[in-house]
Amino acid sequence: MELFLQRTVDGLSEGSVYALLALGLVIIYRGTGHLNFAHGEMALFCAYAVYQFGEWGIPIGIAVVMGMGVGFLVGATAEVALVRPVARKSAFAVFIVTIGLFQFLNWLDGAIWGGQQLPNTGVGSKQISYPSLFPSADTDFVSIFGAEITIKSLGTIGLVLVLSAVLFFVFNRTKLGLAMRAVASNADSAKLVGIRTNTVLMLSWRIAAAIGALGGVVTAGNAQSVSQSLMFSVFIYASAAATLGGFDSPLGAVVGGLAIGVIQNLTAGYVEWVGQEMKVGVSFLVIVAVLLVKPSGLFGTAKVERV
Amino acid sequence: MKSLFTIKSGGAASWAMRLAVAAVLAALMLWVPTRGSDSLIEVCTTAFTLMAAALSLNLLLGYAGQISLGHSAFFGIGTYTTAVMVTRWGWSPFHTLPVAFVLAFVVGVLVSLPALRIKGVYLALVTLALGMVFPQFIKWKKLSWLTGGAKGINDTGFKFTKDNPTYEIFGWNPWGNLRGQNVKPFYFWVGAIIVLVVYLICRGVVKSRVGRSLVAIRDNSTAAAVMGVNLPVTKGIVFGLSAAMCALPGSLSAIRTGTVTADTQLLTVAGSITFLVIMVVGGAGSLWGPIIGAAVYQFIIERTGGWTEPDAIPALFRPFFGWSKTAPGGGLFAIALILLMFVAPLGLVGLWRQHSVRLCRVVPKPAGTTTISVMAAAPAAVDETHTA
Repeated sequence: MELFLQRTVDGLSEGSVYALLALGLVIIYRGTGHLNFAHGEMALFCAYAVYQFGEWGIPIGIAVVMGMGVGFLVGATAEVALVRPVARKSAFAVFIVTIGLFQFLNWLDGAIWGGQQLPNTGVGSKQISYPSLFPSADTDFVSIFGAEITIKSLGTIGLVLVLSAVLFFVFNRTKLGLAMRAVASNADSAKLVGIRTNTVLMLSWRIAAAIGALGGVVTAGNAQSVSQSLMFSVFIYASAAATLGGFDSPLGAVVGGLAIGVIQNLTAGYVEWVGQEMKVGVSFLVIVAVLLVKPSGLFGTAKVERV
Repeated sequence: MKSLFTIKSGGAASWAMRLAVAAVLAALMLWVPTRGSDSLIEVCTTAFTLMAAALSLNLLLGYAGQISLGHSAFFGIGTYTTAVMVTRWGWSPFHTLPVAFVLAFVVGVLVSLPALRIKGVYLALVTLALGMVFPQFIKWKKLSWLTGGAKGINDTGFKFTKDNPTYEIFGWNPWGNLRGQNVKPFYFWVGAIIVLVVYLICRGVVKSRVGRSLVAIRDNSTAAAVMGVNLPVTKGIVFGLSAAMCALPGSLSAIRTGTVTADTQLLTVAGSITFLVIMVVGGAGSLWGPIIGAAVYQFIIERTGGWTEPDAIPALFRPFFGWSKTAPGGGLFAIALILLMFVAPLGLVGLWRQHSVRLCRVVPKPAGTTTISVMAAAPAAVDETHTA
């Protein structure tokens, strides 16, 4: 029982990170219908930036806000300068551009910070490990029914729940949220009633990238280091989460993320032949199964094709 | 657009041009393995590997419009089929090529089954996940009795022994010495043959009825289905064929390097992205695109590979890349990929087609020239009805 509780909470904590990235994917997909393949790398760039802020002696609380600011900028630049102009040409061009952005950002991380894991005393890092948002010493845990739940896990889950609540409020109770929903449902009509669709789209990319930045920082904090390959698998898990929840539903992204985290941790823990190294296989099966059985996901709206 | 020369397709001038291109290619193909330096031969062989892989991706993505980010997995299937069969069951390396081809075909068709229901970015997502799963699957503990786990497999290469025939032509040996020294030209030729085979298969498919239905699926799948294209069968076969062709260069890489591990760059998603970059830079949806793309890609990667220290960079480029801690190749191609989408979505071949017209225009043969008398009679009949 303790083990089950332990694994579930660990799964929820891991899933929170996936939920953060999946939220970004969903916000962009809702607005523009594009799947942003560079989302993980945008988050990784911000995670590197937060490391750099830490090197300059900025405390993590401020550094993470600045990192989200970097995400804000990266997201806006990507949308305005790259995606919007080619979106007029074809969906394939957008796909290629996001792949190009993926590779460019990954290369840029290596070009600026080098290919090794950071922090690394070999290249003169002042920090010992990647700054964590929550207390993460060995003694920082609470006992619930005998399971040792770390403050870090609880903090991560709490962070996602608070953020979801804020986003829920923004999407459903503010003018901005109304405009975003209008653009998502019909961009042309939205334009006709006076909504500045371009501003709204740019804002969705900015919000998505900033949330992704937070996800990147939490991922790096959990791994205690940041490296160029950090976000590859996390991106797949986040995509699986978005697929499971439905690509146009923010609620689905959060539920999907938490579910993927729990499913993965429980199968890796209890099903002996899956093991830790085939975790990504579980995500793969979830993606394939959801797309085959219910392509709209748990909370998404089914797409109606018109000829 | 005005052009300097105008020549007719099928005329003497056009044939002379084709002959000149063929002669230059043939001369290069003979010069490199016999007179070129060892490193040049190596680079060319790697380029052949990339060419074949990008050609296979081009058939699926460039012609049929089915996005795949999982071709590294098919490449890896070729690599591991050869490695396993050579080391575990003692097959001769080249006999494993057909097995790899068939195995990858089957896996490709299986992957196409979900692809029949989903399209666009979702297909990209599924294949991306496939590309991510493959290295993990190889490293899986349950399979390590077969695949060697994370350590990989050694001694997968072709054995150069004293018993091998030499195949000399009047004392001259263009394929290198199969008895042990100077083996690089041999792999060069194997690579060239694989590229030729893959190119001919692609050409055969593209120029046939199937190829036209592929383009129809890409441009408008609903209309294609209405026109009588059997979507599931066509997609399944092209998926399988593309996967099968991608396994051939994979096998070659196992034979050539002699060691395989699941973390080799081309076996991970980075490999899929490399194939995609080559295809798009060269020109998606054209037969020569991936070939030119791979040559350009390998040339630039090779040239800039050592640019990790400011002193190693030529003075002309130092201001641009002097700050970078890694080689600029990946970033250069990422920028090229994005820029091409703005200026030339059809890649280098597309650019060439667009601008070569200014120099020389080739007028294509009018369609159906063999039945010209029938065509000539038809308008007359229309005129008669009008006058009547």
